[in-house]
Amino acid sequence: MSTMKTTRDVKGVGVSIPRPDGPEKVTGRVQYVADIPAKGLLHAKLLRSPHAHAKIVSIDTSAAKALPGVRAVLTAKDIPHLKKKAPTRAHAVLAIDRVVFMGQPVAAVAADEPSIAEEALDLIKVQYQVLAPSVDPLKSMLPGAAPVADAGTEADTSEALAHSAVAIAKSETPAKAVNISQQARLQRGDPAKGFAESDHVLEKTYRVPMVHQGYLEPHAVLAEWDRNGLLTLWASTQGSFNTRSEVADVLGIPENRIRVIPVECGGGFGGKIRALCEPITAVLAQVTKRPVRYVMTRREELQAGMPAPQVIIKLKTGVKRDGTLMALDAETVIDSGAFSGAVLAVSAVFLGSMYKWPSFDIRGFEVLTHKPSVAAYRAPVAPQTIFAIESHMEQIARDLDLDSVEFRMRHLIEPGDPMVNGQPWQSNGAKQVLSRIAEHPHWKSRKQWVAAAGKNGKRRGVGLALGGWLGGLQPTGATVRLNPDGSLAVLTGQVDIAGTNISLAQIAASAYGVDTDLVRITTGDTDVAPMTGLSAGSKTIYTVGAAVLQAAEDARRQTFEIAAAELEASVHDLELVDGKVTVRGMPDKGITLATIGKKGNLYMSKTPPVLGKANPAFTQQAPGFAAQLARLEVDPDTGEVTIQDFVIVQDVGKAINPLGVEGQMQGGAVQSLGIALTEGLMFDDSGRLTNPSLLDYRKLTAADLPNLETIIVEVPAPAGPFGARGVGEPPIIPAPAAIANAIQNATGARLTELPMSPERIALALVNGKQ
Amino acid sequence: MAKQILSCTVNGEPVEVLVQPYVTLLDALREDMGLTGPKEGCGTGDCGACTVHVDGRVVASCLMLAMQARGRKIRTIEGLASADSTLHPLQEAFVRHGVPQCGFCIPGVLMAAAALLEGNPRPSEEEIRYGIAGNLCRCTGYTKMVTAISEAAGTLASQRSAR
Amino acid sequence: MRRFDLVLPNNLEDCLKILAERGAQAKLVAGGTDLLPQMKNGVLRPAVVVDLSGIARVRQVQNGNGLRIGAAVTARELEVSSALRGAYLSIAESAALVGSLQVRNLATVGGNLCNAAPSADMAPPLVALEAQAVIAGPGGERRVPMADFFTGVRQTVLAPNEMLIELVVPPPGAHSGGQYLRHTPRRELDIAVVGVASQLTIADGRCTKARIALASVAPTPVRATAAERSLEGQAVTPEAIERAATLAIEAARPINDQRGSIEFRKHLVRVLTRRTLTTALLRANA
Repeated sequence: MSTMKTTRDVKGVGVSIPRPDGPEKVTGRVQYVADIPAKGLLHAKLLRSPHAHAKIVSIDTSAAKALPGVRAVLTAKDIPHLKKKAPTRAHAVLAIDRVVFMGQPVAAVAADEPSIAEEALDLIKVQYQVLAPSVDPLKSMLPGAAPVADAGTEADTSEALAHSAVAIAKSETPAKAVNISQQARLQRGDPAKGFAESDHVLEKTYRVPMVHQGYLEPHAVLAEWDRNGLLTLWASTQGSFNTRSEVADVLGIPENRIRVIPVECGGGFGGKIRALCEPITAVLAQVTKRPVRYVMTRREELQAGMPAPQVIIKLKTGVKRDGTLMALDAETVIDSGAFSGAVLAVSAVFLGSMYKWPSFDIRGFEVLTHKPSVAAYRAPVAPQTIFAIESHMEQIARDLDLDSVEFRMRHLIEPGDPMVNGQPWQSNGAKQVLSRIAEHPHWKSRKQWVAAAGKNGKRRGVGLALGGWLGGLQPTGATVRLNPDGSLAVLTGQVDIAGTNISLAQIAASAYGVDTDLVRITTGDTDVAPMTGLSAGSKTIYTVGAAVLQAAEDARRQTFEIAAAELEASVHDLELVDGKVTVRGMPDKGITLATIGKKGNLYMSKTPPVLGKANPAFTQQAPGFAAQLARLEVDPDTGEVTIQDFVIVQDVGKAINPLGVEGQMQGGAVQSLGIALTEGLMFDDSGRLTNPSLLDYRKLTAADLPNLETIIVEVPAPAGPFGARGVGEPPIIPAPAAIANAIQNATGARLTELPMSPERIALALVNGKQ
Repeated sequence: MAKQILSCTVNGEPVEVLVQPYVTLLDALREDMGLTGPKEGCGTGDCGACTVHVDGRVVASCLMLAMQARGRKIRTIEGLASADSTLHPLQEAFVRHGVPQCGFCIPGVLMAAAALLEGNPRPSEEEIRYGIAGNLCRCTGYTKMVTAISEAAGTLASQRSAR
Repeated sequence: MRRFDLVLPNNLEDCLKILAERGAQAKLVAGGTDLLPQMKNGVLRPAVVVDLSGIARVRQVQNGNGLRIGAAVTARELEVSSALRGAYLSIAESAALVGSLQVRNLATVGGNLCNAAPSADMAPPLVALEAQAVIAGPGGERRVPMADFFTGVRQTVLAPNEMLIELVVPPPGAHSGGQYLRHTPRRELDIAVVGVASQLTIADGRCTKARIALASVAPTPVRATAAERSLEGQAVTPEAIERAATLAIEAARPINDQRGSIEFRKHLVRVLTRRTLTTALLRANA
């Protein structure tokens, strides 16, 4: 089965076609979960724990139940099938006897109006016995810390499956510290010897707080049971099949009694991969026999969502004076909150094997704390990891007076080089991306630009960084149908969160041989679509695109076989041009696609309907690299940063739809800049979130940003459809390091803690951290 | 608590609807009038997803009580296109430039942009950015929005001079 | 939000009657930009909400001998008002910084002051311009100097049966200029980490009056009186400004919170005082 095909002469792959759902979106007609009307709709609200760690002594719901307009009040004892020890966050539907993070759901209400539901929550009386929480991961990982998980809870590695799928060696001896839920260690060579022989040893600790994915549409779900015992969930989700499986497992319902309809998703970025609100809403709908809607408030999202983990990386490198790499030692602590869910492997790969370190010792720990548990956020753990290694590499170059691009290029891996786990790097464009950004006039003219800082007292700096993502894999399926008018219908179950549907249509068009205008993609729900995985991991185009390509080729083959029989010619002599299958060189001897399509649907016809199908699994990852460059000004008195210019270079293998690719690059970059400059969930010592609103959880506005320049590089992925790689994740990775490097260039201060807020910058200058 | 009668004009049409006194204008538009274009992203005026026009001015409809809209003229995203469904130049430019990704912020951004262009027909890039600075978007990074708004300003100017 | 009764008075007298009866359980709503978020968070749970949007008396701006600003004038109206030029520019500047345009079209100066957050942007310029709060109650009207209006975090001198109806700003005299600056991590949708309003009146090359008011560094807006005294009677040189900027820190009693540390806030007091004094001088001499 061939994979890389040349583009036929149709309007297909490589064309910037606006998304077909644009008109519905700009008129406000597209429906999200909260927009869906339902007769007899009830509104759900959850009572959440005000303590980070406590025993539940008693819950009295009698007053709440008596409030007129309240239709159900539930606690854990009302829900059968709840596992006593919740193995994952989704299983912790309502707390049974203990709460392990502030904001954990303890009771649920369904009422006629949201206001009544809110008042009902006030009437629920819960008695807690407050316990000391473990909040700081560095303390939580020590023996004697207040335990978070019930003993014996497995590390939940389902996140890893969605993302990088890197096999990693487990550590030999389990730690006695009760809150270390995953650990790993990777070694190569003799780092001690390497350090001893180094001329320059640099040791720094990099810290990145938990950040929220920041999707504009909060988690939302509408649940309804029919009288046949079938549950329908309209969900804002990145994976309807995953949601179905999780809800089935949590509530003990067979999967074929659940239908998950993926409604237009108002942003996910990894935060809507795992089930969260669906189970409790389903139970409320079952108990009340009414449709129930639950929409999280923004406050609930920030306090009790599933953010990206806090990451602390202690990094030490040894290098010779001439820039030869000698040794690397790293300890990564990932704070996963109250349930395990972090992707540990990614960090090791990029710390130890983005550059060719001859020896290393890399230890990773996932630590549990009494905080909301984490889920993925667009390239999980990669922005934090690249912040560390790319800040560090820049600093080494600076200390040794080496050109920072040449230094990187000299040691950057190439395809075939070993990753930390010994597996070879797949084909990738890391070097091409780095050299492309180094050619940019903003980089070449950086010294002059910095020197030309105006009289406004601000200091100028230019910085860049490189980062990558291994690319996810997940089995999938697709079908391609020929309609009786010669148009194509493509069916997948893949939620379109990044504009992938138009790209899939373009792939089908190019693979089959018709213009994209004739192709319509339908995203089916779990009842009708072929099984598929998450819209995450930068794998939709890479995997679903491949499935669509194969299904389209299958449909083309079937079409040609039917045409060959009709035309009494050999399949090899046929071509498809302008909707007609003809014998090559004999344009009058042909049959239109419409004719073939109609024949496959006529009463008593002997011609089968064309139905192409593919259901592939994948083994080969396709890493995607991105580099970003920032030109900025710093007000040395207030620490305010103004980004004047920002450039994103990214290897996408093949830009199926350049317009869509640019949008991904720009959107990811702004999330990356938010991590760099303004975002962070701030918890106090009691485990309480001190910034539970968008006023204090700061996402960047249009006024904070310049135009973002995008440069697409294409190093084809051998197994990608038309050479395409996943696009979504690489652009969120490099900015924190690029900004840190630019700030250092501007002020001399090397910041190692995110976000690099004006306060941190100003005080670094005041306190002379030059 | 008894419902109250909210009388106002919405997208050019007179409206009379019964609302609970404790609901916001956003809630009334969405639940009582079926206009689900304006969205709730935060409920506290910090994201702009609920932006509508009240008497020609952009407001965060999640911060207005529904009854505070009595006697006023409201315009939502559903009223941006013409009566014959011709898209407003802003809407066309957004589609053509591939602006909407998840789409959740778009109704609010378009209403902010429409008000901007009504008051300032030839905004600079900085003025455009400040004009939509009250609208958070997590998907696009804003660059294509700025380009599309600038282009729509040009289109509107040519339409005006063509008349 | 939890449920509540909503009252819609058409004039000031009816409004005061309602407050006289139910003021203790009532909250006034004008723009709602501070009230509604607090009600949605459950911090405030009034049984009654009184809507001011039908009362014309509190919505006017007049510039005659001095300035009269109705309490329900919006931040946006102040931002663009031609009456707030010249010596009153700092009021417009502070109004222009509130939230976003969608918030400024709703938020009122009265609401900003009566909510009395330590970070209230419109307070420092009004304090620096020595404005008076006009308060209506059962016994008629009374006036309170702006600097005395705030009594604590989210606390003012208003009794439950009273309401703020107007601000009166006296003419500051010839050659008076001021500026309000605040520091925020973002350019929009943000809240002051520190805010400073400076107002200087100059005669014969010397400062006859200096007023410096600080936001977000104490439970209420505060005047930096030591800094003010250091300037009055002097020529306002760069050295004098620097000295005043340093003295301004003495008036600040900031706390560490999620928006800023004590150290950073004190640092910003100096920086913003220096900057606003420099601009105030330029504007006074213009």
